[in-house]
Amino acid sequence: MSQTTATDERAGRIRGTVAGLPRDLSASQKLMVFVLSMALSGVANLVLEIIPDVTIGPVDVSVSYFVFVPLALVALLNPFWAALGAPIGEVIFVDLLMGDFSGLAEVEGIIQMFLALYIAGSLVRNPRNRLQIAIAAVTVVVIDKALSALVDLSKVWIGVEDAEFVEGLPESIILLEGIGYAVDILMSGILFGVIPAIWLIPALHGRIEPLLGMRPRVPGEPIQGSAPRNALFVAVALALSIASFLFAFLEAWDIELGVFEPEWLDTYGPGFIWVGIGAAAIAFLVGIALARAARGKSDAEN
Amino acid sequence: MSRKTRDVLSVEWVKLELIRTAYATRGGLFAKMDARMVIGWYLMLAVAPWLTHSFATIIALFVITAVSAALARVGPLVLGLFLVGFVTDFLYAFLAAWMFGGDANTALALVEINLKLATVSLASIAAFVSLDPEKLSTGLLALGAPELLAFGVSYGYRMMPILFEEFGVVFTGLRLRSAPGARGFLGLRALWRWGTYAVQAFYPIFLNTAKSVRTTVESLETRGFTARQGRELRIARLSIGALDVTVVAVTLAAVIAAFAIGPWVMTG
Repeated sequence: MSQTTATDERAGRIRGTVAGLPRDLSASQKLMVFVLSMALSGVANLVLEIIPDVTIGPVDVSVSYFVFVPLALVALLNPFWAALGAPIGEVIFVDLLMGDFSGLAEVEGIIQMFLALYIAGSLVRNPRNRLQIAIAAVTVVVIDKALSALVDLSKVWIGVEDAEFVEGLPESIILLEGIGYAVDILMSGILFGVIPAIWLIPALHGRIEPLLGMRPRVPGEPIQGSAPRNALFVAVALALSIASFLFAFLEAWDIELGVFEPEWLDTYGPGFIWVGIGAAAIAFLVGIALARAARGKSDAEN
Repeated sequence: MSRKTRDVLSVEWVKLELIRTAYATRGGLFAKMDARMVIGWYLMLAVAPWLTHSFATIIALFVITAVSAALARVGPLVLGLFLVGFVTDFLYAFLAAWMFGGDANTALALVEINLKLATVSLASIAAFVSLDPEKLSTGLLALGAPELLAFGVSYGYRMMPILFEEFGVVFTGLRLRSAPGARGFLGLRALWRWGTYAVQAFYPIFLNTAKSVRTTVESLETRGFTARQGRELRIARLSIGALDVTVVAVTLAAVIAAFAIGPWVMTG
């Protein structure tokens, strides 16, 4: 790949219009970003379909997605529309067309991936800074997989009657989820995330935007919908998720103490299943609220 | 990688296979039904397993979805993959639980959760494998999904082969222009090279797709593409017939019967 070297200068905040182009995106430009993100993520996922899945024991060591493809779009273009397009592209190109559509599970996948990409895209302030790109690439996988592990765990909690009582069940589920998490960060986050992204994003910066009729991002310039308030949202969401998690585990631990008192258990036994449901509901509501807040903010700004 | 895998792994073969999966006509019960009713049918069976802890009910619900999958003419390959995944998931989870001192109760609990997950995914396989993607998106549109989704499905349905073909051309071009290298230990170096080509191929693909997307959106603009009009036109095609009502009614009765079986088995 031939790359001309361009000097990396921080130009700071840009006010008003530059080179006669308005700063805000027009409706059709938003549609362009959305469709571009959808098409490219769809193709990336189709390419992944070619690569056979490798499983060693219970651990899936295959690449779950090409993080660098949607990451390049959220880092270079409007992060809201690019982050929205990527998971929808995956659902449409791979799941719907290949007849692999899994109904409600797709919705949770879209929410997870959208949140992860939107936050990662907002983290990149300078598309030529490789450290920022690397952090963003790992962030996508960390957030997406953490949310999906949360959903998996709550499924077990809701699905099994008194899951805390069953010998070895909580530990084994957490062990399997943990191994899968580590492998995903290594394979999807670093091998097919950080390494391609630190090459691709600077290479595309300044080249892809004019093709869409947009002005390239100037390093340091905030993009719409990526204000510091996002950091607060993430902090609140994480705190709530951790809280709901801890809550669930504390209850599980308490019940194990309560095993010695059958009467007590009879009274409180069925009620504790609601703790699991509550934890899942809190996590879900936080996700929805975050998405809505992000959306409302983006609408207000655009 | 042996020679055989290399032959199978040609991009051309995969492209044909993908196109066959996406565009081949699918028959079966749900293909004839109204998309809204299929979504309703699926939601019923996706929620029901989570409301019970009775083994008899869960097994009955699983049987209902298995019969539906048979009626939907789900292919043996899809079903086989699903079954293998289901059994291995259970085995690995049990192995891990056994290391932490699990016993027969643990196995029972794992069977319960896996059976629930299997029921839900079998329901989605039965409902959505046979349904045409455009029909499904029309159904979602009627239920209030954003127009962007329906537009995305139509766009993806038409553009997917073109985009994939383009990727294949760029990928093959890269391979032809690069010097062949050593295979390395376990073919790892060859694998690394393939990965590098796949990543590098995205650079021109990004630029080409950006251009074609701009053309698409601008031509939509000149033709006066308004989403609201599209919604009404598409929804007008939907109609609920006798078949839809019958299928949903029979399933509802079966689900209620499944829930009735639970306590009856416990006491009897």
